[in-house]
Amino acid sequence: MFTANTTLMLVATFLPLLGALVLLLVPKDQRRVFEVGSLLVMIASLLLSLPFWFGYDRASDAVQWAGAWTWIPALGVKFSVGMDGISLLLWLLTTFIGPIAIACSFSSIGERHKEYYLWMLVLQTAMLGVFITQDMFLFYLFWEVMLVPMYFLIGIWGGPQKLYAAIKLFLYTLAGSVLMLVALLAIYFLQHQTTGSYDFSLASFQAMAPVIAQQSKTYQTLMALAFFIGFAIKVPMFPFHTWLPDAHVQAPTAGSVILAAILLKMGTYGFVRFLLPIMPGATKDLMPWFIGLSLIGIIYGALVAMIQKDMKKLVAYSSVSHLGLCMLGVFALNPYGIKGGLFQMINHGISTSGLFLAVGIVYERRHTRMIADFGGLSKSMPVYATIFMIMTLSSIGLPLLNGFIGEAVILMGAFQAFPWAAVVATTGIILGAAYMLWMFQRVMFGPISAVNEQMSDLNLREVLYFAPLVAAALWIGLYPQPILDVMDAPVRKLVEQVTPGFHAAQSLAARQAAAARLGMRGMAAPAVHAAVPAGHEVPAAPAQDAPAHGGGH
Amino acid sequence: MTGFAQGLLSALLRDAHLMAPQLFLVIVATLMLWPGDLFFNRNEKHKWAPITLVILAVTAILVARVPDGEGFSRMFRMDGLTRGFQMLCVLATAGTVLLSVKLLDSLKQQTVEYYALILFSLAGMLFLSGASDLISVYFSIELMAICIYILVAYLRDRATSVEAGMKYFLLGAFSSGILVYGISLLYGAAGGVTTNLADLNQALALAPATSSLLVYAGVLMVLVGMAFKVAAVPFHMWSPDAYEGAPTPITAFMATAPKAAALAAFLRVFGSGLHGVSSDWVLPLSYIAGASMILGNVAAVKQESMKRLLAYSSIAHVGYMLLGVLSGDPRAGAQAVWLYMLIYIVMNTGAFAVVIYLQGKGEGERIEDFKGLGRKHPVLAFAMMIFLLSLAGIPPLVGFFGKFYLFKLAIEQGFVTLTVLALLTSAVSAYYYLGVVKEMYFKEPEGEAAPMGAGPAFIVTLACALVLVGTAFGPWLLDWAATISWI
Repeated sequence: MFTANTTLMLVATFLPLLGALVLLLVPKDQRRVFEVGSLLVMIASLLLSLPFWFGYDRASDAVQWAGAWTWIPALGVKFSVGMDGISLLLWLLTTFIGPIAIACSFSSIGERHKEYYLWMLVLQTAMLGVFITQDMFLFYLFWEVMLVPMYFLIGIWGGPQKLYAAIKLFLYTLAGSVLMLVALLAIYFLQHQTTGSYDFSLASFQAMAPVIAQQSKTYQTLMALAFFIGFAIKVPMFPFHTWLPDAHVQAPTAGSVILAAILLKMGTYGFVRFLLPIMPGATKDLMPWFIGLSLIGIIYGALVAMIQKDMKKLVAYSSVSHLGLCMLGVFALNPYGIKGGLFQMINHGISTSGLFLAVGIVYERRHTRMIADFGGLSKSMPVYATIFMIMTLSSIGLPLLNGFIGEAVILMGAFQAFPWAAVVATTGIILGAAYMLWMFQRVMFGPISAVNEQMSDLNLREVLYFAPLVAAALWIGLYPQPILDVMDAPVRKLVEQVTPGFHAAQSLAARQAAAARLGMRGMAAPAVHAAVPAGHEVPAAPAQDAPAHGGGH
Repeated sequence: MTGFAQGLLSALLRDAHLMAPQLFLVIVATLMLWPGDLFFNRNEKHKWAPITLVILAVTAILVARVPDGEGFSRMFRMDGLTRGFQMLCVLATAGTVLLSVKLLDSLKQQTVEYYALILFSLAGMLFLSGASDLISVYFSIELMAICIYILVAYLRDRATSVEAGMKYFLLGAFSSGILVYGISLLYGAAGGVTTNLADLNQALALAPATSSLLVYAGVLMVLVGMAFKVAAVPFHMWSPDAYEGAPTPITAFMATAPKAAALAAFLRVFGSGLHGVSSDWVLPLSYIAGASMILGNVAAVKQESMKRLLAYSSIAHVGYMLLGVLSGDPRAGAQAVWLYMLIYIVMNTGAFAVVIYLQGKGEGERIEDFKGLGRKHPVLAFAMMIFLLSLAGIPPLVGFFGKFYLFKLAIEQGFVTLTVLALLTSAVSAYYYLGVVKEMYFKEPEGEAAPMGAGPAFIVTLACALVLVGTAFGPWLLDWAATISWI
């Protein structure tokens, strides 16, 4: 009932879980077996996932490699999987980060190795599962399962405040996801009332958008808020971000890497996949609030990062700021914004993982992360300094590296939709450059103390796990087109779902602009008036119309 | 006169097959007390446990075999609802017996009375599950409860056990009084002709407007009496003390079997007898359900005793299950409650099995005693973690499936606020369940692991397997639930 490709996708997803089950049988003093075994499993899963990058049909916006298996017919639940470009990118990011997260744990995890690697493998399958599922019930299952391994990873192998951080992460996320569950169930019933059948498939939920749009304003707003809070906690958006610094700072390095690279992306993925297509109307109504929170996140995250004394905390708050930027892009609701937001999710996954790994390196050597304890490291650790530099520059969006492309595309999109918001966001980017470079300067340059002089540079294993991140940062920075191509068709479909007729209006506007340039005023003028009241973005339209869109409807 | 007696006897004999399981239990348990007990000397009393298990297996077969029907002047009904909840009671009782053996051995408290009382109590529950008349509801509740009062106070040389039994008995008797008073008011309001639930429903619909206050008072009093039996807030006060003082297997028993039977009665009384006057009880019951969820979960957070924690958590779970009773569609409500109760029995009995294992070593009463269990006894700790996460409703464990099905129904029936409350409080519950997980995995162990008794080990393994993969068998669970019907 599944095609060969679908089966391969499932194998790549569930391979880590299988690996965990096999490793369960190994006695717990065999540390090496767990390290190497889980690394091999992750690499195998990565290799199995690579063909999907090449096999993806970029011209189609359909869910590819789809397969479904009846599970609970009475509830309309299917074991239904498949990916479109958006899921594919995040799925590949997850298989890509997996081996790195394992490789960086060899020296940093000092006890209870068996449990550690087993939880890492379970977590990997849960995360991969979220991205391939096409059924809301299954989605919720994977979404929640993720929490348990993360709770243990932080709670057992974390820093001094680990218990507090672990339970805070768990409860915050759980509270958000149960609200999301209520909204899911409510839509599920609305669907039952209109169509007479129960169906949990994502497609049927998205097909409910017009029916939801006819419900009362209160209903729509409450539904949208329930989804919003569930995802915003995961992203995390201001003011739901308070679990993040605790979790990041207390988590072991690999935990931070996975949190930053994948777990936070679940939230943004949720917005793109569920909130926007299912409830576009309510989203637009609440848009001023969403944009406001994104902007506060960008500025507040950056300002708080600026004053941090702990490197890991600084990187954690920089995530709040960067994810705010992603959300701004997504909420622009136009192709540039959404593409930029998705693109920046990938970038943030790469650069922030790199930064957390870099912080982990010095922490392993010195058992401190305080910026004040370091200085002049570029003398004793030149290779490390170089890699840290690349990751820093990638994070602040220097051209030629990956971060620049994402930020540029987001700002293009945001400027089309909300010019004032784009202006504010730019401030955040400037602040970002300031705090990152300032940290780099304080850690890497200046006088070096005797202790820091003794610090050894990266060993081969460490270089090897940084290498893919550096390569990816450079590759995406120099040639981002393949990634943009993959998301092109799904984003086009998404924009069309959010704003029906968007692309038609846009091409009309483009033709009008061309006509206007040719001097055919009579042909251009009436059509502009026809297009604007419909609420569509018209790039050629005067800029003063755009704020009206943001606050309108 | 003889004609009447003959008629009565033939009527009883005609309907006797409907009550075959209960009659079997009562007869066998009586024979156990005398002359059965004469066959075993003081040191052989533990042999009553396997015998009890065989009796329970026979009871289960009888329950499955009894045909649908109504009898004894329409006081007792055998239908899908009865059968389903009777099965749950037998299942929970079997779990209790398995858990009892080792603990009673170590306390040197094995007696035939213990097992006989459990069987008598079970007979009461089987009556209660099928009681279709307010009078039969009342006397089955009493049969069930009186045996449990004694069982709670079973460890008579322990002050806590006796105190718990006393408290439970006094409050239980008081609430029974309220229940009976409510029944009499309803009887009067309905014209003084019937206490049969189906007739009552029609009679109350025809009751004159002047008696509406009488109906309201009667409904409220019945509600209070029933809420007491399932330990719903604010009538839960007895439960933490009774749970803490009772022998742990009896705590596990109280948390599962009598609750299943009482919920069956709850569903039947409010779903059929008082369905017509639902406007009188939906609001108070909503408040009771909401308060149970809030208080149960919030109070559990502060507990240091594992048994009290599970007591408060069971109050919260009853709060969730009352959502099913509230359902405007009684049949769907009964199915959801049954499914939830089935799952709850499995995971709760599993959790109690772990507590009893630790108690065998003189600990387990306190949450601290779980310290480092993950290192000392990884399999057991893993199972306990699965039970706790399942109680908290974390997918993909089967506890989530039960919650999901129940909350789905509640949203369908329009109880959105209560469902949101239920879900948020279940997020709170994750806090205290994870508190135990934290002790097991994040703290260093003290002392050595002890071997486990066969009974608890069997229960832990079976329950853990069921909880882990239960959701995958969702279709089967739903098929079973679909057999729960009485209309």
